[in-house]
Amino acid sequence: MLKVINGGIETLVEDWPGRLGYLGKGMAPSGAFDNVALGFANLLVGNPPGEAGLEVTGGFFQGEFHTDTVIAVTGTDMQPKINGEAIPMWESVAVKKGDLITFSHIGEFGFRCYVGIAGGIDVPAYLGSKSTCIFGSYGGFEGRKLQAGDEVKFAVPQGKLTDLVGRKLKKEAIPEYSREWVLRAVPGTNTSPDYATEEGMDYLFSHSFKIQHTSNRSAYRLQELPTSFFARSDGGVGGSHPSNILDHAYAMRGALNICGNTPVLLIADGPTLGGYMCALSVINADLWKVGQGTPGRDFIKFQICSQHEAVQARLDQKNLFTEDAVV
Amino acid sequence: MEKSVNAIIPGLCARVVVNEGDKVSAGQEVAVINCMKTEISVTSEWNGTVKSVLSKEWDELEVGTPMVMLAVTGTDT
Repeated sequence: MLKVINGGIETLVEDWPGRLGYLGKGMAPSGAFDNVALGFANLLVGNPPGEAGLEVTGGFFQGEFHTDTVIAVTGTDMQPKINGEAIPMWESVAVKKGDLITFSHIGEFGFRCYVGIAGGIDVPAYLGSKSTCIFGSYGGFEGRKLQAGDEVKFAVPQGKLTDLVGRKLKKEAIPEYSREWVLRAVPGTNTSPDYATEEGMDYLFSHSFKIQHTSNRSAYRLQELPTSFFARSDGGVGGSHPSNILDHAYAMRGALNICGNTPVLLIADGPTLGGYMCALSVINADLWKVGQGTPGRDFIKFQICSQHEAVQARLDQKNLFTEDAVV
Repeated sequence: MEKSVNAIIPGLCARVVVNEGDKVSAGQEVAVINCMKTEISVTSEWNGTVKSVLSKEWDELEVGTPMVMLAVTGTDT
C-alpha cells in the first residue's frame, strides 16, 4: 500500500487501453495519456503492459510505502527520489516499507511520468477498466485524482520481488522526447474540398502548433488556424461559423476538432460527439506523444500517414513491450 | 538574503496574492498559475517579507520563472 502525502498537481490511476466500448453512451475511454511510458513501467516490474499504474502530471507527488515492493518510474524526469536519494528512471527499483517517494517539477522534456508497481494497483475495475475519468468522476481511485491521506492498495506481484529488481530498459528502447512532437495522422471526416481548402489542409500538415495552457486530459488546444483554412463562409444549418456542422460522433481518441479557428485534439477523457468538423485523426501509435506534450511550452506538428502505415505502427508498438527491450 | 518564489509549472499567471511589504510564512500561497484549466497554487518555501512582485495576470510562465522576490533573514529560513 502507498499512503499519499501530497497528491501533487494531478496524479491518477490509469491503465491501458482504458474503458473501451462505451462511446455510444458518451463515455470516453480515459486510460494512460502516455501508454508507452506506462507499458514500459509495467514491463520492468513484471506486469502486463496495460496494468494500472500511477500517472503523475506536472509533478510534486509524494507518498510513503507501507509495504516492500518493486517500482519503475518512466516518462518525463521529475527527479524521483526515495528517502531523498535519486533513483534511476526506466529501471526497476526495490522499495521498503516506510520509504518516502518524492517527485519534483517536470523535466526538460515531457509532462507526465508513470510509476509501475509490481502487481499493479488494486482498485476495482469499472466497466472493464481501472482508469480514472476525472471529468466524469468515475473509475480509478474513487473517480478522482489522488490527495493526501489516500491509501492506494497494490495487487499481488507476478513472481518473486527479488527477481524483479534491477531490470533496466535498453537505451535504444527509451522513447525519444522532444519539445516539438510529430504526430502521424490520417485526414479526417471533414476536409477539402467541402469543409477546408486545399491550402488550409497543407497549412495544417506543415505548421508547428503551440500547445495552449488550457490543454488537459479532455482536449489539447492548439494555436489558431487562419480563416483561409475554411472552404465555407459559415456552417450552414450547423451554425454560423464554418467549423460548425450538424452533430456527429467524434473519432475518439485522436480526432482533431476544429472549434472556431482553434484546432483541438480530443484525447483520453474527451467528448464523444459534437458539432464541430474533424480535420484529421492522429494514429493510435502516436497518441502517447500528446500525453508528453507540455501545455504552454511544446509544439505539435502533424505528418500525413496512410491507413496501412497506421495499422503497421500500432502492431509495431504492441511488440515493444517484450523482454527483448530489457537488459 | 533574497529568495525568489518561482513558477512550478508552465502556464499563465492567474494572480499574485501578496503585495510588497507583506510578511509570508513557509507553505503560504503567494501566487496562482492557470494550467490545464485548473488553478495551481504556488507556495513559499521560506518565511520572509515580499520585496517585489515580479509577475502579473496573463504573464506566460515557464517552470522556474520568478514570480515573487522575498527578503529572507537567516533566522527566517
